[in-house]
Amino acid sequence: MSDTETQALQPSPGSAPEGQRGGLEPDLPQGDLAYRMSHPAPNLLPGEIRAHPDPWQYVVVAVVLAVITAVEIAVSYTEGDLPDGLIVVLLLAMMFVKFFLVASWFMHLRTDKPVFRRFFITGAIAAPVLYLIVLATLHGVLAS
Amino acid sequence: MTTLEQSTAGGAPLIPSEPGRETAHDPHGSHTGIPNAKLAMWLFLSSDCLFFGAFIATYLLYRDRPGQAGPTPQDVYNIPFTSVTSFILLMSSLTMVLALAAVQRGDYRRFRVWIMATALFGATFIGGQIFEFTEFTRKGLNVDTNLFGSSFFILTGIHGTHVLIGIVWLVALWGLSMQSRISQSDSERVEIAGLYWHFVDVVWIVIFTVIYLLPK
Repeated sequence: MSDTETQALQPSPGSAPEGQRGGLEPDLPQGDLAYRMSHPAPNLLPGEIRAHPDPWQYVVVAVVLAVITAVEIAVSYTEGDLPDGLIVVLLLAMMFVKFFLVASWFMHLRTDKPVFRRFFITGAIAAPVLYLIVLATLHGVLAS
Repeated sequence: MTTLEQSTAGGAPLIPSEPGRETAHDPHGSHTGIPNAKLAMWLFLSSDCLFFGAFIATYLLYRDRPGQAGPTPQDVYNIPFTSVTSFILLMSSLTMVLALAAVQRGDYRRFRVWIMATALFGATFIGGQIFEFTEFTRKGLNVDTNLFGSSFFILTGIHGTHVLIGIVWLVALWGLSMQSRISQSDSERVEIAGLYWHFVDVVWIVIFTVIYLLPK
């Protein structure tokens, strides 16, 4: 075996001791970035950094989503009793929480590699920012 | 030539092969450990955020234009009915993720049950949307009645088209599973379909709040 190959099989100086890996890392070339990127840890699917949640956890998330939806609908019926500004803030906050729960738990953004999250957040933030600018601009133009 | 040199010349990973591990060819066509198909789906979903954002912004811009003839949102919206269909679509995300969990552990019978339940929930949502559109038409609101009608029907119609595509995709997966052509190792295909389905749900979460619930 050549020196280069031997080096590739050695753990890097900064890598954690075996006992601290939680059994998720391959036994061989722990320190090699290219190897670790191309080989998912045992029991994980490609693209994951942690295992997906258990089915019962999905059910709990769904129950939370159902409860938030019920509260949303109830809040929408308080129009006239509560200030409109407060209703808007409450509804948008609950919408954001539901969006976050579905994206992070059901779409697995919390357990998948960060690159997926970065792509999605880019679009999910760019859209409201872009269209708020458009709305602010055109609302005045159309009103005049 | 050493094993390492041979691998480098062939474009394969630089690490020597080990029995039981893929080295010369990654089954996902990626040497980064990131499945290309999944990455492509996330890119698509990211761009779809902007796509739906354009129609939501158009609706918000046009729904309150003064001087519009015909019904207004207050005249036609049926919040209790839309709440029920929204709840059904929300719960379809649960059945979708349970279908994925089932195929990942090799439980194909439950996979078929959950994927079909998801498709049926989606079909129920579409049925509700058709009913809602029919009611609106009866009340005098068509796509060409006024700016509110145009922007509303186009936004919700495009979302409904997304749901319809998702239903076809789910039924296709169910059919493949019935022919034993979906296995545990194909779970990524189910996951990608699931990402699409959850995204459709996420978009409806926004539409339901912004279009139906926010004070007019």
